[in-house]
Amino acid sequence: MTPRGDALARAMRVLLPCFTVLVLLYLTLPSILIVLMSLSDQTYLTFPPPGWSLRWYRTMTEDTSWPQAALNSFVVGVPAAALSVVLGTQAALALTRGRLRFAAIASACIVAPMLLPHVIMAIGLYPVMLDLGLLRSYTAAILAHAVVALPLVFIIVSASLRGYGESLELAAMVCGAGPCATFRHITFPMIRMSMAVGGLLAFATSFDELMLSLFLTGPGTRTLPRLIWEQMNAYLTPTIAAVATLVLVLSLVLLGAAALLQRGRIEGSAP
Amino acid sequence: MSSAARGAPLAIEGLAKQYGDVVALAPTDLTIERGEFFALIGPSGSGKSTLLGAIAGFVPPSGGRILIDGDDVVAVPPYRRNIGMVFQNYALFPHMSVFENIAFPLRLRKASEAEIRARVERMLAMVRLPGMGGRRSNQLSGGQQQRVALARAAIYDAGLLLMDEPLGALDKNLREEMQDEIKQFHRQIGATVLYVTHDQEEAARLSDRMAILNHGRLVQVGRSRDLYEAPRNAFVASFLGEANLFAVRHMTSTGGGLAVDTREGIPLAALRGPAGAINGAAVMACVRPEAIELARPGASGLDNRVEGVVDDVVHAAGTVRYRVRVGDGFAITVRRPSRLQAEDPGVGERVALSWRADDTLLILKE
Repeated sequence: MTPRGDALARAMRVLLPCFTVLVLLYLTLPSILIVLMSLSDQTYLTFPPPGWSLRWYRTMTEDTSWPQAALNSFVVGVPAAALSVVLGTQAALALTRGRLRFAAIASACIVAPMLLPHVIMAIGLYPVMLDLGLLRSYTAAILAHAVVALPLVFIIVSASLRGYGESLELAAMVCGAGPCATFRHITFPMIRMSMAVGGLLAFATSFDELMLSLFLTGPGTRTLPRLIWEQMNAYLTPTIAAVATLVLVLSLVLLGAAALLQRGRIEGSAP
Repeated sequence: MSSAARGAPLAIEGLAKQYGDVVALAPTDLTIERGEFFALIGPSGSGKSTLLGAIAGFVPPSGGRILIDGDDVVAVPPYRRNIGMVFQNYALFPHMSVFENIAFPLRLRKASEAEIRARVERMLAMVRLPGMGGRRSNQLSGGQQQRVALARAAIYDAGLLLMDEPLGALDKNLREEMQDEIKQFHRQIGATVLYVTHDQEEAARLSDRMAILNHGRLVQVGRSRDLYEAPRNAFVASFLGEANLFAVRHMTSTGGGLAVDTREGIPLAALRGPAGAINGAAVMACVRPEAIELARPGASGLDNRVEGVVDDVVHAAGTVRYRVRVGDGFAITVRRPSRLQAEDPGVGERVALSWRADDTLLILKE
């Protein structure tokens, strides 16, 4: 190797890790700052905090609106995730196993809500929900969140279905299993991990969603992101940072669970 | 408990499949006897998988009938046809043990636990996997997985077994070993077997009869030997083994046979004209490489004689293949058994080729 190439290689060995650390910091710094700010002893959001305290976590639990909003987030998120899993799995089965003529178009329609700006959907849904008398109800938020969470389930379950091909299902049918028995004994055991991962991510999507909640929920049904948003405008106390920290912890737990399930799925299906 | 399954006869009448304007299978008739081992061969895209898929119930045919044991099953869904099937990639259920894979069809048929246990154990012994029931399918070798697939297909005594290139994923030595095993398995269970393969040697080793498909059409049906010795057309002649093909320009009757004038400029002597031929333009002459004798130039030979120069010599497992250039860009392949210390002609040597008139097969071009 030339001396110049050698120097370059040595520089790369130092530069690459530095660059990697910088990128990781860029990605995680906002979350880390939030955690630090939530531990401030001041009455306004500031960084770096001059002193440390846990008082804002106590304030958070004393104010009833925070626990209520957290509960609302679950009341909306769990059914929204369940609905996405049921509908997303059926859509994935139809589009990967069925021989549909307009499969590509249908597939694009299913994935579209993930790519479209939520504000557009919110503006569209607002008058519809108003007409139906569902505005500010849990139902409105559940339906809207299911629409934006469904693509995740659809994509993950579709990938899993494509991963093992249809010969297992054909083999089961030849053995004498009708459509229901084939799903119960073969398809479901093969895709249940992907369904669970999709469900977790669907819940996380709903738990994190602001725009649709702003338009569709009311004071009694507002979710955590919406309450954070309202409090940001009004008070800007470190309580918000404390709430955000808890949301962050829950999101990390969900992501961790999804990652563990994914690993189990891959190990379970390795040849 | 259950006696060996009795084979079910299979009859296909005018079975066809079209995708829009594309003909995947032209109207086809075929009859397979009770207990027969029947092979379907052809290049990829020849329609053999379409035919098999239609019989299994995966491919709805555009027309025609499929009679299994006399009953038309075209309108019957796959799970009620009671056919056994072995897939190319085995299609074993990865989340079930070997035992559960084989027991699966019996569980669907609501057999008792005791009966399932007894039958699966017996089947495991039959496919030489005793005591392996607890394994997961991904802990088995390719050949073992194939045996589990055979066991699963045969456990419910189906009268008809379909096999879709079951040995395609195995290496050559294992494939030959498994061929013997499949043949023996067939003798034990007695079911009718329809076996799809693109390997004509495998088809010849296993089957009682075979059908050759090309471009969605059944070209010829018969025993391996019949197809080799009396191919219907040039496709069959070159698909089964090797063939030296000559384009026939003109045929005239002589005292004991036919004098054939070819486009390659080599006059040939033949005994019989092609079956069902109308005019000379659509006829070809086929000479098998092993029918040709090789001698020094000038030696007296058989009815057909031509001289040429050796272009290439390949020794392979007991045979020697010569390519002999006999004219402008035309070469004849000759295959002789390889013998120790034989004085074989080498590359560049001039040789005389000769063969008997009844080894010049006159066949249809299409």
